[in-house]
Amino acid sequence: MANLTQSTASRLARRVGDRGPVREFLMFALAGELYGVELTRIKEILSPPPITMVPRAPRNVVGVCSVRGLLVTVLDLRRTLKLEERALTRRGRILLGAAESGEVIGLLVDEVKHVVRLAANEIEPAASALGGDVSEFVLGIGRPAGEFLILLDLPSVVSG
Amino acid sequence: MAELSDKAREEFFSEAQEIIETLSRNLLSLDSAIKAGISDPSLINEAFRAVHTLKGLAGLFGAARLGALSHRLEDVLDDLRLGRVELGQDVLDVLFGAVEAYTRILQAEKADSDEELDVEQLFVELERIGAGATEHQSPVADYELDPGLLAVLTEYEEHRLRANIALQMQLYRLRVQFDLSTIDKVLEEMKERAKRHGEIITYLPTGEATSADTIELDLLMASRDDLATLIGSLGADHVVIEEIPRRARRSHPATMPPRRPTALGRADSVGMQPDLERGGLEQAASLRSLTQTVRVDIRKLDHLMNIVGELAIVRSAFGRVAEKLRGEGQRKLAAELQRLHRNFDRRLGEMQDGILEVRMVPLGQVFDRLARVVRQISREVGKEIRLVITGAETEIDKLIVEELSDPLMHMIRNAIDHGIEAGQGRVEVGKPLAGTIALNAFQKGNHVMIEVEDDGRGIDLARLTEKAITLGKLTRSEAQEMSRDEVLALIFLPGLSTRESADDVSGRGVGMDIVKTNISKLGGVIDVHSESGIGTKMTITLPITLAIVSALLIQAGQHTLAIPLSSVSEAIAFEETAVRLVDGREVITLRGQTLPLCRLDRLMALETAPYSASRRRFVVVAALGQRRLGLVVDFLYGQEDIVIKPLGKSLSAVRGFAGATELGDQRVGLVLDAAGLIEEVLAGIEAPRTLERASG
Repeated sequence: MANLTQSTASRLARRVGDRGPVREFLMFALAGELYGVELTRIKEILSPPPITMVPRAPRNVVGVCSVRGLLVTVLDLRRTLKLEERALTRRGRILLGAAESGEVIGLLVDEVKHVVRLAANEIEPAASALGGDVSEFVLGIGRPAGEFLILLDLPSVVSG
Repeated sequence: MAELSDKAREEFFSEAQEIIETLSRNLLSLDSAIKAGISDPSLINEAFRAVHTLKGLAGLFGAARLGALSHRLEDVLDDLRLGRVELGQDVLDVLFGAVEAYTRILQAEKADSDEELDVEQLFVELERIGAGATEHQSPVADYELDPGLLAVLTEYEEHRLRANIALQMQLYRLRVQFDLSTIDKVLEEMKERAKRHGEIITYLPTGEATSADTIELDLLMASRDDLATLIGSLGADHVVIEEIPRRARRSHPATMPPRRPTALGRADSVGMQPDLERGGLEQAASLRSLTQTVRVDIRKLDHLMNIVGELAIVRSAFGRVAEKLRGEGQRKLAAELQRLHRNFDRRLGEMQDGILEVRMVPLGQVFDRLARVVRQISREVGKEIRLVITGAETEIDKLIVEELSDPLMHMIRNAIDHGIEAGQGRVEVGKPLAGTIALNAFQKGNHVMIEVEDDGRGIDLARLTEKAITLGKLTRSEAQEMSRDEVLALIFLPGLSTRESADDVSGRGVGMDIVKTNISKLGGVIDVHSESGIGTKMTITLPITLAIVSALLIQAGQHTLAIPLSSVSEAIAFEETAVRLVDGREVITLRGQTLPLCRLDRLMALETAPYSASRRRFVVVAALGQRRLGLVVDFLYGQEDIVIKPLGKSLSAVRGFAGATELGDQRVGLVLDAAGLIEEVLAGIEAPRTLERASG
């Protein structure tokens, strides 16, 4: 269970027997904040291929692209989360995940960081951290090594 | 049903389905044979074998309901083929009922439902037929037949022997030497040749072979021809033919040979599968021929087609590399690569054609099912119907065939119920008593046309308009302004049915609107022609395949879009000055006819290319059936074969696109849904506003 990416601080915060199961999250940046989605929910990380805009599509849809022959609808996560819009940089990536319908959806993010492992006691559930009236997209707040990570529920983000 | 892997289940269902379809075809042939006064034992035999195979299959897969029905049906068919039961229309009705029951059982099994299916009545009727079975007295004893041979006749062979004697056929014995290595083939050939003269009833080894590699059989044959003819036709060095003489008549029938399941001499050929005994050698032969074909899930073909699409992108990359090399002065290398590129291109084209060909199935598949429906309905409503099918061999994409069955069935039901007059009514207007429904299919370019035509009373336009007005679909004044074709198009409105009461056959709320929706989902259109008192003809125009289509690539705004060529009639240069405004809508005149215009960039709110009055633009004329729409576009790139992929579920609410396709360079282009666009843009023009609401 040794994990070099975890800092002393988080190791101090850990109390023996109270950690709960450890989950892995992919950390990425979006509009200056750090977000995380559970690693098992992500099928693939892509450099954005050319994306074709779809007229008349819902506002959060960037367009469609082809991933090795599979037609994928790409969503702009900034628009879904109602964040300020900005053009992608060369660090921009697409996360592929499955919607509740089984459809494969791409999510546009600013930059992919790395994988963090969070024990149950390092995750604040959304309701207790932010109060009851919180978006269905947010699972909770992750606090690895003094960082602040907004944990998203990928299936509901890509389905909504 | 027992636990099975998905694959095995799929196999089971498709095989069972196929057998049931074969059975249904057999029954239909029997039906027409009976009507023509012919008795064809091979048809009953085939039906029997189909049911027998199904029973075995059901046992193998633990499908108890399927097994139970097959078991009883098999008994009845056995009685029929042994002549214990007379085959008439009433018996056929019950047999067709069994086909329906099979279909229901199969659906229930597929859905894993244990729902009670009401087949009791059918079982009772099958019982009733079986109870009427009679044992025949045997005239066989009149012939000087070898008792050893008689003792090993199966019940079926005995029946055939009796039947042939009853037909005054002469019996012959053929003693034939066979080479052991080719006996199967040679025997089949002999049977085939013998058919011209009569039939071979049975065969038995004589045990007197001349060498270890040969076997000698006695063939018992019945024929209407004399000995000389037979010797002329079947005679050879290794064949000796003798006539079996009649005995002096005796007053009492010989004792019946005991019922023996298997003729001794053939035990070796069927011994491995004792359950096949009644099918005998013929069945073993048909099992062998089946191994020539494989069943393939259509999704696997889709997958292959996707790979072809990706290879096409690789091919374009080749082309670009060759260009680049040429640009860099590497002429020799470039030429070599160019040659490879062309070769690759050709092979890829062949592969694409090959895969498309595999997807094609004859329309006969669905027509057979329809023939059954026609027979059933015509007997239910007591109208005599003659179904004339042409072009059943016309091939179309498997996926389309599957989706065609329901719409066609509905059209035929309508034709029988609303179209064809009741018997006396027909005679009064001087038509033949039997109504005719023609089902014609033929290929026309890249399309398949299917016509459903009846010689009934035609669509009553006045009643149709009246009904539409009653239902509030249009006002009386609107109705007066409508053209004949517009009135006919009313039958595609939801809820329209010219019959007052909902009955068993049609008019159950689903109508031609559903038919039209289903057809347009397949990229097709439906047109109606009707003459009062003469009949109605509906024509469906369908693309041959959904997998790959020829498309026109165009530029609109900043977008590269594809329009399926099947819905494009022509493309012309656009002149801004020719545009006229009619009731706020832009139109131009094309060869004396008004053509409504649609500016794609405005309709789709595309970012427009910078406007310049001098820049040439184009009008692509989209046409479906009678309706035309001019799409104003910025540029025409030309024609290309594309694979259309549907947009994901998250975009299902977006109208106007049939899907997307890869354009090469990793880029994706949207494919316009021409039918949808025409519908959307023209809805307000060609029909009154109320209609727009009704059909929207």
